[in-house]
Amino acid sequence: MTVLTLKSQLQAPLEAGVIVPDRFAGNSVAAVAGMPVTYGNEAACLGDFFKVAGAGSTEIVLEGDLGRVKNIAAGMTRGKITVHGDAGMHLGSEMRGGVINVYGNVGDWAGSEMKGGKIHIHGNAGHGLGGAYRGSRRGMNRGMIIVEGNAGNEAGAVMRRGLIVVAGNAGDFAGAFMIAGTLMVFGKLGIRAGAGLLRGTLVTFNQPELLPTFCYDCSYSPSFLKLILRDLRLQGLSISEEYITGCYRRYSGDFNRLGKGEILVYDQR
Amino acid sequence: MQVDHVVCAFCGCVCDDISVTVEGDRITKAKNACVLGKSWFLSHGTPSDLPVARIEGKPVSLDRGIEEAARCLANARYPLIYGLSSTSCEAQRKAVALAEVLGGCIDCCTSVCHGPSGMALQGVGEPTCTLGEVKNRADLIIYWGSNPAESHPRHMARYAVTPKGMFVPDGRKGRTVVLIDVRRTPSARAADIFLQIKPGKDFEVLWALQALANGQKPDEISIENTGLTYEQLTGLADRMMHCKFGVIFVGQGLTQTRGKHFNTSAVFLLVRALNRHVKFALIPMRGHGNVTGIDNVLAWQTGYPFGVNFSLGYPRFNPGEYTVVDLLSRGEADAALVVAADPISSLPGKAARRLAEIPLVSLDTHDSETTRSARIAFTTSTAGIHAEGTVYRMDNIPIHLRKVMDSSYPSDEEVLDRLLAGVKELKAC
Repeated sequence: MTVLTLKSQLQAPLEAGVIVPDRFAGNSVAAVAGMPVTYGNEAACLGDFFKVAGAGSTEIVLEGDLGRVKNIAAGMTRGKITVHGDAGMHLGSEMRGGVINVYGNVGDWAGSEMKGGKIHIHGNAGHGLGGAYRGSRRGMNRGMIIVEGNAGNEAGAVMRRGLIVVAGNAGDFAGAFMIAGTLMVFGKLGIRAGAGLLRGTLVTFNQPELLPTFCYDCSYSPSFLKLILRDLRLQGLSISEEYITGCYRRYSGDFNRLGKGEILVYDQR
Repeated sequence: MQVDHVVCAFCGCVCDDISVTVEGDRITKAKNACVLGKSWFLSHGTPSDLPVARIEGKPVSLDRGIEEAARCLANARYPLIYGLSSTSCEAQRKAVALAEVLGGCIDCCTSVCHGPSGMALQGVGEPTCTLGEVKNRADLIIYWGSNPAESHPRHMARYAVTPKGMFVPDGRKGRTVVLIDVRRTPSARAADIFLQIKPGKDFEVLWALQALANGQKPDEISIENTGLTYEQLTGLADRMMHCKFGVIFVGQGLTQTRGKHFNTSAVFLLVRALNRHVKFALIPMRGHGNVTGIDNVLAWQTGYPFGVNFSLGYPRFNPGEYTVVDLLSRGEADAALVVAADPISSLPGKAARRLAEIPLVSLDTHDSETTRSARIAFTTSTAGIHAEGTVYRMDNIPIHLRKVMDSSYPSDEEVLDRLLAGVKELKAC
């Protein structure tokens, strides 16, 4: 296990895309400390900012307020990263495998365009969770993100595959222009959820304000949802039994696009 | 002395038919200019008593100012260059070069006005045209979230509403003008139809119109919350689908309200849907005289129109990460260069406060809150009055600026060029 402890508060963004198990594995403490990072506009070494304990391994623990450290675990394919504190922008973006646990809040674009693996955020997430970068045609494409707090705007925007679960509230345009996949929000959805939905599923437990291009289909109890909810219990989320056995109102849309998407709203009756 | 065919570089209309009268060392008349243009010519054409450079408010020589400003910027770890909407493309090019050498961020006023239009353009494409096409062809003009009577006073008379065009020989009589806004503005007097929608409901109305253009029937109950009746909505959609050539002028009522780039994406997608029925286009109502120019200059030099970062040595674009309000609000920028803008008066409080705290270098033609807060302030001449240059009109047409009179101040281009040389020397590159 490699433990990185932040030495002092950062004044400028630190681009630390090297903090990935794939890069650390098999390297000595000195080699890990010598890995290149960019602090503001200056080239620097990881060891300038972190105290490194333990040789490079596929299990990394980060400690300190890393709110200004960007690109942690970006592109990781294996191993485990645990952050005790906040993490900066682009956490786990484009990751393909492995597990990230954050015991704090994360910045914007966490899990953007990820293609596998799991991110579990115990605090809040910023904007663009599991989304796409500007100009990209696809956001998250496989994998799983769990946020125990709230998520910002555009969670799951242009998502292609995978599962995003937000235990708190989500901001505006959740699942906007989503191609496929599942986005589940236990708190309140912001406005214009599912705008431009192509396919895919949005699940919510509070009646959202729907766009004029969605229409009510039926009320039913989907089997796949039971499986997902039971699995989430195993992941440590507290899921009410009523959600598993209850009925959901299905709205289909967005008819300005393909119209094969659905918004499932828990029927409290 | 009268100088004809002078270009007004105040707003995005960039009118090029102004006749300016110069008496001695000042401009006394600006014929054909609107109230905003007249004020611009007369105030910038008046001699100023500001020193060419100030450090902490004390007058210094230009050389001393350049030396101190270059040192201030070269020492920064995450410098920001901002503004650039009211200067020439030639000066903008120097600013981009400076951002690259500094390894900093460069952003322009676009990020707080029509940046969302740029993001929508990148996401869904922009079906647009020139103002010449509007004048000669458009028979349906829609202003959405903009108030041209006050913000672009000659827009209606010169390009969009009253002029007679090749295929609109009757001028005003041959056009239908629709104004859509959340309040009745002075522009409503010039419109045939005024539709008042509830604040924050633009996206829903645009989305419902797109559904109608796609042959779908939007949910009537959802429409009720928008402030429009279903009949008003279908009436507008019908008018849009049966004109000859329609244009939507998109204002900041769409780009800077909740939804931002999704609002503009909705307009772009609506126009795309309408093109299955008739010819339709849109033009963003750009505010400052050359804000379109900085988008063009940044795009041709870096590939991106605003919010560009050079900290890794190559350009990267990410609105929300490298844009001015975000960089300042998060306290990341540690020095700033502001060119031809007054962000301390116009940015949100937290961002403006941060800007006032960090070492700030400003270039402007006149005194402002920003120049007064700046550690080093340069007074420059005005492009279009004291210097030649190029600006882009709101429809991306480049127009050459004429010089009307001399000035004792250097141009923005000259100061930026010297700053660039100074920073290069300090950074040894």
